[in-house]
Amino acid sequence: MTLYVLDRIVQRYHDRVVLDIDHLEIEAGGIHALLGPNGAGKTTLLHLLAFLEAPASGTLRFQGQPVTFVPKQVLPLRRRVVLVDQHPIMFSTTVGNNIEFGLKIRKIEKTARQRIVDEALTTVGLRHYRDARAFELSGGETQRLALARGLALSPEVLLCDEPTASVDTENQTIIVDLLRRINADRGTTIVFTTHDRLQATALADRTLALASGRLAEAAHENSYVGTVLPQADGHLRCRLRDGVEIAAPSQADLTAATLVRVAIDPHRISLDRIEPAASPGEEHPISGTILLIMAEGEHIRLVVNVGVPVVVLMDRTGYGALRPAIGETMRLRFGADALSFRPL
Amino acid sequence: MNLAMSFFLDSFIAACRLAWSLDPELLTIVRVSLAVSCLATVFAALVGIPAGFAIAHGHFPGKRAVITLLNTLLALPTVVIGLFVYVFISRRGIFGPLDLLYTQQAMIIGQFILIVPLITALTIAAISRVDERYRKTARTLGANGWQTGLVVLREGRFGIGAAVISAFGRVISEIGISMMLGGNIKGFTRTMTTAMALEYDKGSFTLAVALGLVLMTISLGMNVLFNLIQGRSGR
Repeated sequence: MTLYVLDRIVQRYHDRVVLDIDHLEIEAGGIHALLGPNGAGKTTLLHLLAFLEAPASGTLRFQGQPVTFVPKQVLPLRRRVVLVDQHPIMFSTTVGNNIEFGLKIRKIEKTARQRIVDEALTTVGLRHYRDARAFELSGGETQRLALARGLALSPEVLLCDEPTASVDTENQTIIVDLLRRINADRGTTIVFTTHDRLQATALADRTLALASGRLAEAAHENSYVGTVLPQADGHLRCRLRDGVEIAAPSQADLTAATLVRVAIDPHRISLDRIEPAASPGEEHPISGTILLIMAEGEHIRLVVNVGVPVVVLMDRTGYGALRPAIGETMRLRFGADALSFRPL
Repeated sequence: MNLAMSFFLDSFIAACRLAWSLDPELLTIVRVSLAVSCLATVFAALVGIPAGFAIAHGHFPGKRAVITLLNTLLALPTVVIGLFVYVFISRRGIFGPLDLLYTQQAMIIGQFILIVPLITALTIAAISRVDERYRKTARTLGANGWQTGLVVLREGRFGIGAAVISAFGRVISEIGISMMLGGNIKGFTRTMTTAMALEYDKGSFTLAVALGLVLMTISLGMNVLFNLIQGRSGR
């Protein structure tokens, strides 16, 4: 069943377009990852899905019904969806009272409330903190408490904004495991944002990539802010940082000194030990040292430091033939089709 | 110098005895002071807290001007308010027929006018300091507008509590309004401050110092109570 349908949704803050989605459907019951760099519009989209903010224009449908964002009509919808913030804030009271808040609002009687609070705290492993002050919890425990506070309300959709971004590795594992269990045991639809592609692929059934407020076809991890340099020899170049330059296409909206968001598709980069015979404008050879190699499903992920870290995803055959080693200096080759430039 | 010191000590000891013996005149004065100031504070809080909340959260033209006006009113001298209210409630004033002059009600009205801007301005400051995430969290947990407002009020409670205590401190220690609108009538509108001024005029320091001690004790008690509540709430 389709849970959300977004059509021509545009969101603006101070006349700046931060979200511009032509069409998006989110199915019920799955785990969906929203992948993208900072400022891609992930949190804005979550706020929309949580019915917290009305879009500037466009139509949002929930279970087939258009959402009007009129307070009286949107409140029942908001009570079916819970958003867990990246940096959740706890009410200045006990852990138990924090969880009880949403239950009291729903006028659930006291004995049932106590039972639900205990269950929620047990689920996230914080049962023994029930009477502690919520402010006394660590960052990871606060994140788990925020999940429990949402879970206690048995939402149909759980929206998590960067649920593991600001917690330690131990709590990351606990939270990822929790999200899986919540989805499997309760059938709760989960939408979470992340800028970690690995986490997205490991946890989600479907990954949606956002870049500069728009849905992107591929999850560009190699996303950088660059400056277009003055034209030389009839070709534009873009500086990602001092000493790291790539050729830029002749786009009408790219002029010297323009700030651009540059994305390099990690699937379309190849590594090479041989000096490339690159002709300017067609290929863009840059070299760097391999920092990391790891297996990721059907692919091998390599992180190459060329002045900025560049992720390269190779298929296992290509990797087997090349056998690059950590610390080895390699050349990166990618065509213009691997690059996308969007003025900021 | 020694004579002055001895005079002060004698007055102080006599004042302590007077306070300790629960002198009926002293008790009446304290009771009137507390009744008038408490009621003025309660009424001002009932108006000032919602007003402060509405201004802090509202988006309306002239918001900055309203806040500037409130901050200006904080410096309003008590005698100006006394005079202002006097004009309205004196026999020739538009509220003259209500016969309010030299009554506790008149004092309450004056003190109310004195501290409404104070409570409103401090509530605006307290609410503005409440983290915006509380609103968002309350809303995503299903709270409606009122419930969200209550959450924000709850999280700003210590700032608001401090505002009310400051306001009470202001009215319990003011003299201009009490003197001009209350008239310092013994057993009826005589408050601690007006009694102290009278005793000073008479050159009788014992009751004045005793009242001063009571005033200080009340102020200290209020602050200790507030700190205890704040401490117990874990902030």
